[in-house]
Amino acid sequence: MSPIDYLQFVLAPQVVNGLALGVAVVLVALGLTIIFGMLDVINMSHGEFYAIGAYAALALGAAGIGFWFLLVLVPVLMIPLGMAAERLLIRPVFDTKDRHVTTLLVTFGLGLIVEDVLKVIFGANTQRPPTPIPGASEFFGIILPNYRLFLILVGAAIVLGVAFVVYKTRLGAMVRAAAFDRNMAASLGVPVSLVYAGTFAFGVGLAGLAGVLLAPIYSVFPTMGRDFILLAFTVVIVGGMGSIWGAVVAGLLLTQVQALASLVISPVWTDPIVFGTMVAFLVFRPQGLFGRLGHA
Amino acid sequence: MHDRLTQSMRASHLLALLFVLAALGLAAMGAATGDTFYLRLGTEALIFAGLALSVDLLLGYSGALSLGQALYFGIGAYVSALTLMKAPSFWLAMGAAFLATLVAAVIGGLIANRVRGVYFALITFGLAQVMAKVVYNTRELGASDGMIGIPVIEIGFGPFSVSAGSPVGFFLIVLAIIMGLYALTAYLLDTPFGRVLTALKANEKRVPFLGYSVWRARMAAYVLAGLIAGLSGALYPMLRGFVSPELMFFATSGNAVISVILGGVGTLIGAIYGSVLLVILKSIIGSWTEHHLIVIGALFMACVMFLPKGLVGFVRPSIEGWLSRQPQAAPVPVEPIGLTQAIAKSGSAAS
Repeated sequence: MSPIDYLQFVLAPQVVNGLALGVAVVLVALGLTIIFGMLDVINMSHGEFYAIGAYAALALGAAGIGFWFLLVLVPVLMIPLGMAAERLLIRPVFDTKDRHVTTLLVTFGLGLIVEDVLKVIFGANTQRPPTPIPGASEFFGIILPNYRLFLILVGAAIVLGVAFVVYKTRLGAMVRAAAFDRNMAASLGVPVSLVYAGTFAFGVGLAGLAGVLLAPIYSVFPTMGRDFILLAFTVVIVGGMGSIWGAVVAGLLLTQVQALASLVISPVWTDPIVFGTMVAFLVFRPQGLFGRLGHA
Repeated sequence: MHDRLTQSMRASHLLALLFVLAALGLAAMGAATGDTFYLRLGTEALIFAGLALSVDLLLGYSGALSLGQALYFGIGAYVSALTLMKAPSFWLAMGAAFLATLVAAVIGGLIANRVRGVYFALITFGLAQVMAKVVYNTRELGASDGMIGIPVIEIGFGPFSVSAGSPVGFFLIVLAIIMGLYALTAYLLDTPFGRVLTALKANEKRVPFLGYSVWRARMAAYVLAGLIAGLSGALYPMLRGFVSPELMFFATSGNAVISVILGGVGTLIGAIYGSVLLVILKSIIGSWTEHHLIVIGALFMACVMFLPKGLVGFVRPSIEGWLSRQPQAAPVPVEPIGLTQAIAKSGSAAS
């Protein structure tokens, strides 16, 4: 194979596939990092909320609701779920001495329950909704599935939209103020407990949205959240906990490492390489790429 | 003079005694009825209790949540299995597992102890994940199938020997080892070293001002916990005759964390009770439905939220009260001991 052919038929599709996976991971990690950055809470059940989103898309899609409507409907349906989870599980333990560990444990328990409930309702088998955008396009002789291209564009739009809301709007300023100093924000009239519940629910909604978007590519099965959350946590750690841009950069970086390692070395060794990268990062730069260490 | 910590450890020891008596009762019943299933299950519960004990040593005493303690459990199990296949000797297998987990825990500790809190939880998780995947992909170690055909060994004690294939005999040996590990841990935590760990959990920033090295204490706790997990893991292939990469997976570490929370964080004996409780719950609920995770997850969440000291933390205060009313117990009013007092005590004991 000539170098040009290698570039065109092997490397380039792999890089684009890695990019699509990167966008997927960033979408899952985005909610995780927002919940951590704003609430200072670890949500171990985030992967299960992603799975709920995917199953909701599967069930509602089978009931005849179109994909485009689901993109809006499912995240909206996830919001009361997130609000309830925050009210019932996070708020009672929010002021415990070791909040990180306590919330991690509570949400870990929630994840176990959700995983089994999904198994009870939908069965243990892997299912896959039909691809909403079929076909493939050719660019410079490289053939790429349309849905992956769509995913990359939508993912970029969502990340930019979220970053805009958090960093540039009045609502985002209120959320950041509540995160920075709860009491001061409350005395300035910020409805702090509503902001906390809303932020948690927003993160959960993002997980649900990721579920809708990723179901046609990565299939739907009860343990899907657990498989994805590992990578999402890795991304959040490497990027720096609580940093949106960190999650984006780390997500794209790590999935490229994964894609290229699976091409150059072997697909079975990608997980050790990716997690090894995380360990190395934690050793040499514990605060992550864009993180501040004061947080955890 | 007994301070609060000694008092609560004495209550734990009483619970440990009850546990041993109950276990001996099970062994006697098993021997009488010739029932092997429950004895084998009980042995497995005890082995995983060792893993839970190591999680509690870290979480309950130095405040470090390890989500990857199964790493050392798995290393112990694999090294023990490899040794047994080459040379079927119990003591050799335990020794090899000890050395291997010692090396692994020192390396793991050097990496993990650079960070705190959530980062510690996630790095331990990451380390276990890397190692589990490496084992999963290594054909020489049986890859995803694990290794089978580990010989049944005779465990020699001088003139006596007990076969690992004997349900009652091996149950008693495992009981002795796990309770021995409990006793050793409880003893070490009662020394100045243990008081430094307790102080560390209470306020890490103040400990260096008192002249103790935070890093050294954390490292010692980590290595000790690794060794406990490794030695427990070394018993696993002797019981089941096989090892598989699942021993290192997150589910194994997660179960140990659940056991500790159910039983009671920072009580040591709670980890052992919790582990047995988890096995019992799984088999009872498992007989009704295969979806036992719903019940266990709910119980776990309820424990974290409403019973943060777990089952043992719930019953122990009344035992403490009963103990302190006993004439032989020193008539010291039980008063909460602060960090400074704990350190002062350990300091005077050290000097």
